[in-house]
Amino acid sequence: MRLLVVEDDPLIAHSLTAALGPLGNNVETFALLSQARAALAHSHFDLILLDLGLPDGNGLTLLAELRDRNDATPVLILTARDGIEERVKGLDLGADDYLAKPFSLAELEARTRALLRRSQQRTDNRLTFGPVCFDPATGIATLHGQALALPRRELGLLESLLLHAGRIAPREVLVDRLFGFGEVGPNALEVYVSRLRKRLTGSGLRIRTLRGLGYRLEEEPA
Amino acid sequence: MITINGTLKFRLALWLLIAVGGLGIFLLIEAYTSAHRAADRAFDSQLEAAELTIADAIQWQDGQPVVEIPAAAFQILATNQQERVFYAVIDAAGQEVTGNLKGFVQPAWRKEAKQNPVWLTIPQDDVAIRLHGRELDSAGWESQEPVQIWVGHTLSGRQALASQLFERSLTRFLLMVLLASLLMLLAIKSALRPIRRLRHLLRRRDADDIRPLHAQVPAELFDLAETLNSLFARQRESRDALLRLTADASHQLKTPLAGLQSTSELALQSTNPQTWYQALETVHESAARTSRLANQLLSLARLRHASAQTLESLDLGTTLRDCVMEWAERDIAQHHDLGLAPLPSSPVRIKAEPWAIREMIGNLIDNALRHTPRGSEITLGLERGTDEVTLFIEDNGPGVSEAMLDRLHHPFERAGRQDTLGSGLGLAIVDSIARRHEGVLRVQRSTTSGLRVSVRLSLSGLNEK
Repeated sequence: MRLLVVEDDPLIAHSLTAALGPLGNNVETFALLSQARAALAHSHFDLILLDLGLPDGNGLTLLAELRDRNDATPVLILTARDGIEERVKGLDLGADDYLAKPFSLAELEARTRALLRRSQQRTDNRLTFGPVCFDPATGIATLHGQALALPRRELGLLESLLLHAGRIAPREVLVDRLFGFGEVGPNALEVYVSRLRKRLTGSGLRIRTLRGLGYRLEEEPA
Repeated sequence: MITINGTLKFRLALWLLIAVGGLGIFLLIEAYTSAHRAADRAFDSQLEAAELTIADAIQWQDGQPVVEIPAAAFQILATNQQERVFYAVIDAAGQEVTGNLKGFVQPAWRKEAKQNPVWLTIPQDDVAIRLHGRELDSAGWESQEPVQIWVGHTLSGRQALASQLFERSLTRFLLMVLLASLLMLLAIKSALRPIRRLRHLLRRRDADDIRPLHAQVPAELFDLAETLNSLFARQRESRDALLRLTADASHQLKTPLAGLQSTSELALQSTNPQTWYQALETVHESAARTSRLANQLLSLARLRHASAQTLESLDLGTTLRDCVMEWAERDIAQHHDLGLAPLPSSPVRIKAEPWAIREMIGNLIDNALRHTPRGSEITLGLERGTDEVTLFIEDNGPGVSEAMLDRLHHPFERAGRQDTLGSGLGLAIVDSIARRHEGVLRVQRSTTSGLRVSVRLSLSGLNEK
């Protein structure tokens, strides 16, 4: 995985490299927009971590250029400006996620992982999270390489959770995916979630309920 | 945006000019007519005098009038303007006894002159003639035949006198206008002087000088000066608030920074890796706390000092869900059970500044996460009334004492919990935002003995029931 970090503060750039390097990533750091532009012109990256306030301009211009070229490389914006306007503008321009400084490295790692996973899924159509894998083309789910025989709705649920892996899959999205737009009882979703939970017991993965929000497929803490 | 719309000088001058000009034209017309009247009067009395002189010279011989026109009469009539002089003595039969007006005097005029003295201005060829006729009743003589005496002259003498008189008035008038203009300029200058003085006073000020103005101003400028003073007073208040906040803030920032400094200093003196590790942990914790504090101070400053932005209609339900969703993804929320109570099925529209509402919800969640032990349940939700909505957050943590509840929303109040990582700014920010939206903040015990913080806001009226 190649990561491009555009950050002018040497201390932050250094800790980003130190934190992301051990994840098996090749991290290249540039302090200027122009350098980053040059690097992007001749090589491909799997993820861009972009600071907005750079000495030679606003990072948002680089993002806009990228999306204008139909380059879908995931972009995580890092900035001290956590004003809602900047944030909305960044997401409108096609940023994939947004982290306000100061941030904890653990949070940065988690988000980077999630974005990289999505980036990888674009090239490799299979959805993978830990030991679980689902191939939407064949409709076959595997756990530790063993095929999981799942009924249709549980399979749909697993796919949706994998699509959001590591992040919350909103309740409404799951209900729509599983039951269409028809009326269902409030507990219908919970029924399928608990069935899938049972199947994942002992796999190192768990499905966490976030009350009123949705469900999240996450790695079980050791 | 200030644009220049003419000058006061110009306006004053214009109105004064219109007044003086109007009056001046009237005065000039008056001067012109009165000059002509005066000239007429003077020359008419000359005609009369000449006529009387002729009348005195009339002799009677055999019932016939005989006249030897005296030189004095011509002297009276002749002016220095080389005028033509006319005279005639006419007997009762209409025959001219003597004179140079043969046939000129019309019977109608003669008839009129029998009654009263006649004054006529007759246009003749290209000049006008002023003619005066009177019947002389020679009472007391043998012959009772009345005679008429007519005298006249051309008008150039009169016109010369009239224009001479008018010229004099005109000169006087122009002098007056000149003098008035000078006085006007002086008056404008002196009337505008207080404005200039005020301007100098304001210009001399330093940029941060917001003391009240002390100046003598005319009554017309009093309002302006008052307004300026109240503006200064508002600025003073807001600056004082800012200074207080800055002082509080720097004190608050100094505390963790002092901790950072002493911890790192101690660690540097030690050679024990265990001590280093512990020190680093403290440093990390303290840095996180300091940066959060800086963020909150920024929010508070933005809230207290930003001018009100335009309110937008937003769905509080969607905003709340987005915020809670975002916070639930954060690292800090991973050890709490953060959830959302079922939301009303239809949109809950309020008029608000979106960033402020998000800031408020974020601070409520942040507060709850920091002041409750791991594993605590934190629930947010909306309770919809008829024309208001209550946004609440409840936890099942340890709560606070009854006495502390009211004081919680003051800045830097941490409910005596110095152990936790809070700055005590969270609820102050929430309170500021609630007030900004005419909402009411309440801090209560929750049903599960923890804390319940709620903000009541008015619905915007766009909601369908």
